[in-house]
Amino acid sequence: MNGPGLGRALPHDSVLHRRNPTVKLAVSFAVALVLLVPVDPWTPAVLLVLALPAATLAGRLGARTVLRALALFTPFALSLLAVNAVTRPGAVLAHVGGLEVTTTGLTVGGALALRTLLVGLLSVAFTLTTDAGRLMTSLHQHARLGPRATFAVLAGYRVLEQLPERWETVRRAQAVREPARRPGARLPSDPASLARAAFTVLVVSLRQGERLAIALEQRGLGAGPRTVARPVPLDRRDLVLAVVVLGAVGVVLLASWRSGVLRTWSTVG
Amino acid sequence: MIRARGLTVRYPGAPRAVLDGVDLEVRPGEHVLLLGGSGGGKSTLLRVLAGVVPRVVDADVSGAVEVAGVHLPAEQVPPSTGYLTQDPADQLVLPTVRDEVAFGLENRAVPAAQIPPRVEAALRAVGAAHLVDRRTAELSGGEGQRVGLAATLVTAPDVLLLDEPTALLDPAAARGVAAAVAAARTPYRASVLVEHRLDELGVLPGRTVVLDAGGRVAADGPTAGVLVEQASHLAGLGLALPLRAELRAAGVGSLDELAGRDVRRTAVAAPLGAPAAHVVLRARDLRVRRDGRDVLHGVDLDVRAGRVTAVVGPNGSGKSTLLLALAGLLPAAGGVRGGTVGSVFQRPEHQLLARTVRDEVAWGPRRARRTDVDALVAAALGRYALDGLADHDPFRLSGGQQRRLSLAASAVCGHDVLLADEPTFGQDRRTSLACGDALRALADEGRGVVVVTHDLRLVAELADDVVVLRAGHVAGRGATDDVLADVRLLGATGLVLPPVVAAAVATGRPVRAVLGALRSAVRTATGAEASRRPEGRRAVLAGAVGGTPSRHPAGAP
Repeated sequence: MNGPGLGRALPHDSVLHRRNPTVKLAVSFAVALVLLVPVDPWTPAVLLVLALPAATLAGRLGARTVLRALALFTPFALSLLAVNAVTRPGAVLAHVGGLEVTTTGLTVGGALALRTLLVGLLSVAFTLTTDAGRLMTSLHQHARLGPRATFAVLAGYRVLEQLPERWETVRRAQAVREPARRPGARLPSDPASLARAAFTVLVVSLRQGERLAIALEQRGLGAGPRTVARPVPLDRRDLVLAVVVLGAVGVVLLASWRSGVLRTWSTVG
Repeated sequence: MIRARGLTVRYPGAPRAVLDGVDLEVRPGEHVLLLGGSGGGKSTLLRVLAGVVPRVVDADVSGAVEVAGVHLPAEQVPPSTGYLTQDPADQLVLPTVRDEVAFGLENRAVPAAQIPPRVEAALRAVGAAHLVDRRTAELSGGEGQRVGLAATLVTAPDVLLLDEPTALLDPAAARGVAAAVAAARTPYRASVLVEHRLDELGVLPGRTVVLDAGGRVAADGPTAGVLVEQASHLAGLGLALPLRAELRAAGVGSLDELAGRDVRRTAVAAPLGAPAAHVVLRARDLRVRRDGRDVLHGVDLDVRAGRVTAVVGPNGSGKSTLLLALAGLLPAAGGVRGGTVGSVFQRPEHQLLARTVRDEVAWGPRRARRTDVDALVAAALGRYALDGLADHDPFRLSGGQQRRLSLAASAVCGHDVLLADEPTFGQDRRTSLACGDALRALADEGRGVVVVTHDLRLVAELADDVVVLRAGHVAGRGATDDVLADVRLLGATGLVLPPVVAAAVATGRPVRAVLGALRSAVRTATGAEASRRPEGRRAVLAGAVGGTPSRHPAGAP
């Protein structure tokens, strides 16, 4: 893989890195919910055009990383566009291989595709600027998540972090058991081989999970009231973030309604 | 601090109790080394004291146990105990070192302002202050174990329970962690340490308790006295003893005495491989890049039939990468030519493919459409002392059994070359010996064997040739005796000989023969004892199994 992984916080500091993880999560979730309403392509397009530079700059994500993230969601977005374009009733725009492409279909498909990219961008911006440990501490502090749940998630995260390497090791270790294997051949990828590797990885990971659980209890998890060594701050700047983002979404929605481009599920039928 | 009276533990479905009427009393300031054979109940005793058995792991427990003022079994973990196990991957839970060490203090509701200084002090005490800002996933084994120890000690437990904390570390890291463990033996604390690498670790706890195969206390007293008095019993249990105790077990005062008496006979019994043997695998100018950096820079290696080549070197020197490249499991520049290659990985469970031990061994021969699968499998099960386990689930075997299984499953395939990555990793002395014997037997059948290892005693007892890697380059190579005697090379690559190997080198005689003589003297002395035990010390290797190597020559010798 080139560049940093998309599943973990970038090591640098930024405005978004410093914001409260629970607030970021809640705001992203709220935007994704609000975006269920419009089904015209213009509203999500304007929001995407605003969010791209905003997230890139505020999180110091780097244009390449953002483009890679969008590329990750593009196939799903395009498939939404294609399926909707040929399955929705409406004025027929063109015939493609016996299927009718409708204007309504293109509109709705375009909206859903752009919404996918926008939600994808927000989730990548969230994961790239949020440390898993700080997120769980914040959920414990600000969303009243219990310590057992919090640390079970973190233990799971540790197991997940080791999964790619373990998967690779097990596949190699099992591939070499094949007597007819030629040196330099690719690792076997037939379903039976993958299933065997998956079984071994599962057994090894579950056992590790059990031992991690013992280690957590052994160090006193769940024994009574606890303190938080490094509380995650929650202050006025987090409120500003929420107001700016949600306000921008509100303004765009209002503008698209007033200008007449806003379409909702009830208007497309 | 610790008081156990008549402690008896039986796991569900087990034929007999794993601990049988154990009495143990440990006062503050007392530090106990707990010894015993594998399956002898050492870990179970620690788990009972830590409150894991029977609260988390089901077992019938009887007798009275009190730890740090708490009567066990209890609903909660005794709050003033610390418990550390072998694998850092099993105890580091949080993403960063700082959070990891703070965790125990948070759970005890220590005020937030007091936590950072205590975290830093705990890390300093184990020599890990520089790791405070690191991510736990990126720590090496030795670093991880130090952080685990700091996370255990940060709450200042009255009772410290340590279950082989250095078993999975290379010798240099093991010495560092052992020193940190020794520093945790304060006058206010009671500790119990299970350990089987007694030969390489500096200062041992003052008192030693030995459990016998039936889970009873066989000896209890000052460490120096118990190790010497019980030397032959302990050697029979599969422990790696300090040099003095091992000599005592062999019934001699020094290796010189032994060498004078025994070397000629052993040298005949284990001839050094013929130098003119043909090359079965030839690597030239092997270069590997992994994760954007060069790991191997042009390594040449000839693997010869009938010879065991050991590859040694510090962590990160490219040893395991070399083995993967030789097995054709990594894209590598340069060339590897020669016969078929089998490979045994560091963790045997990663190679398991079947649901029974018999099917596991039969896997390779069946895929190769051999007609004599049943006979091959039966012979291999016998040879690797697995025949009583044929219908067991491979995942439920002990570590030593899994190691023998992985060797058996690889040996029956009849490859020309067998590669083994850290085959004695985490194993006790008895399994290490069986493993070394198995690899030697494969070489004697005419195969080429390559072993990557940190275990320099294994190298001295097994290898014909040694290749020393450093930072992806060959720093030195030669016959085993020459490399082990090359003080400058060893110093430059940070390799430290275990005391027994250093003593064998100092005799000036063939090292393998001297160590072989020591081993047979210990075996003779402990033989009577071993034959009394139910499972005994069986001959792991009885005869050739598997296909004859194809003797595919890779070129002129």
